[in-house]
Amino acid sequence: MLLHEMEMRAVYGQTLNELIEENPNVMCLEADLSKASGTNPCVAKKYPNNFINVGVCEANMISIGAGLAVEGKIPFCASFTCFASRRVYDQITISVAYANNNVKIVGTAPGITAGPNGGTHMCFQDLAIMRAMPNMHVYSPTDSYELRAVMRYMAKTRQPAYMQLIRSKVNKIFDENYKFDPAWAVVLKKGKDVTIVTTGYMTHFALEAVEELLRKGINAQLLHYPSVKPFDVETLVASAKETGIVVTVETQNIIGGLGGAVCETLSENYPVRVKRLGIPDKFGEVATEEYLFNKHGFGVKHIVAACMEMLKGNKK
Amino acid sequence: MIKEKFDKNEFDKLAAEYRYIITDIICRAGSGHIGGALSLVEIVITLYDRIMKIAPDNPKWQYRDRLIMSKGHAGPVLYTALAYKGFFPTSWLPTLNADGTRLPSHCDQNQTPGIDMTTGSLGQGLSCACGVALAAKIDGKKHNIFCVIGDGESNEGQIWEAALFGAHRKLDNLVAICDYNKLQIDGFTKEILDIEPLMDKWRAFGWETFEMDGHNWDDIYKTVNQAIAVKDKPSMIIAHTIKGKGCCEIENKAESHNIKVPDKASHEKYLKSLKCQDNELVY
Repeated sequence: MLLHEMEMRAVYGQTLNELIEENPNVMCLEADLSKASGTNPCVAKKYPNNFINVGVCEANMISIGAGLAVEGKIPFCASFTCFASRRVYDQITISVAYANNNVKIVGTAPGITAGPNGGTHMCFQDLAIMRAMPNMHVYSPTDSYELRAVMRYMAKTRQPAYMQLIRSKVNKIFDENYKFDPAWAVVLKKGKDVTIVTTGYMTHFALEAVEELLRKGINAQLLHYPSVKPFDVETLVASAKETGIVVTVETQNIIGGLGGAVCETLSENYPVRVKRLGIPDKFGEVATEEYLFNKHGFGVKHIVAACMEMLKGNKK
Repeated sequence: MIKEKFDKNEFDKLAAEYRYIITDIICRAGSGHIGGALSLVEIVITLYDRIMKIAPDNPKWQYRDRLIMSKGHAGPVLYTALAYKGFFPTSWLPTLNADGTRLPSHCDQNQTPGIDMTTGSLGQGLSCACGVALAAKIDGKKHNIFCVIGDGESNEGQIWEAALFGAHRKLDNLVAICDYNKLQIDGFTKEILDIEPLMDKWRAFGWETFEMDGHNWDDIYKTVNQAIAVKDKPSMIIAHTIKGKGCCEIENKAESHNIKVPDKASHEKYLKSLKCQDNELVY
């Protein structure tokens, strides 16, 4: 089966198996959500000695990961995004980031993709809080090929890192030849009228919005950021200079995440008007994507409308 | 590195030196966690001088025994041991907490040679020790992993997550020691949050349990060796200790957790209240 025909979590499990095959020090840590992460039975069966299920003990998982890392192991620790980030923020801060231990943290079902689990599980702040942590890299791959490339990068670099993992099957954007470098954003569409900045899951919807805008005669430039930290300043500033207006889209609180990174970068380097789309400082709820897009205004039609609105006032 | 012969007088003198140094460097720093460092002096000396395989000229030697000071605020007692063993010059000791120091108040694996794990946020070190022990099991290595936790630290839920995991994974290369000085920052443990019956708890969690007098050389040596010999489960040694041991001004008082030393007079007061005054400064 080709990667883009698989669920992203299956790609996660399969890629972990490839990484373990190449380097037996790679470890798969789970906290009783291994089926949800796609590592059980995939990794559990093929490499039982590299598969450690710690039970419902996320704090323990992170610090055990640090202990393994200090001995040269490369642990990938997965749980739902809410538990992999905010629940264990202090363990990640001290045992991993402050100690600079080579632990990889994987937050599954990010943002609104937590759907049926609702407000308790719908984490809108992980990009913000992980980004605010020194020593930590923060990634949010958008499709199967990028996911595999990001994981391969994580396994070969001695660097604490946090990665969002969409669990479902998503459309193919990249291919086998995709190379990941956290220093660079990916220019998915070239355009001179407006800059759209996205990461992870929302890149798929932004691509649709770009097509819709094109039908209206508007050429949007779409910048996809697989790495929210480190953040590629150069590509954003160059695009802002060309278009003069920027719209950010993320399945996160608009405070502190991708939108925050974009605003910080532009205000210091090349101030232009920015519209942040995402969750306007609200908690999540049990709902369909469509409902949440409409409620918070960050679906395809809202991206299109925001770009049109911004263009009206653009003095460029 | 391991002392072949045990001479009680020699070790008593060493303990007195440790207590003088710990008190002096904390006073020089102007404040510090003295009580929980003084309670561990005999345990740390026994581990480093009589039990642990270490290589001060190669701090990351892969076959060394590890010590994870989960109660990371006890840095000063560990720094004294590491300096005495030659991991770094004793002249570093009075730089405790000074600007740019490599001896911070809480243990830091990236700052201090010989520190095996960064600690300081209570509850995490025992989990880290489980990870270190698990790595050794996976790699088929035979070294021992020691982990010192506090009694106040045992309030943390994560300690009990690690307790479950250590037993489940049969980490018999892990020997944990609880510095049971019966005091935490705000008062006596039995008044703040009682952890008794402590032995029963660890036994119920599947650990082999021991008790020892944490200030008695023979008892420490014998008990730690018994714990090392345990198979198929991790060990927990409850060490009965006295917080602030040896410093009359603060001994067995909650205030000993972190003292403030605003001036030279306070510095002198603490040094003079040490029970053993026959010490030479090594820095």
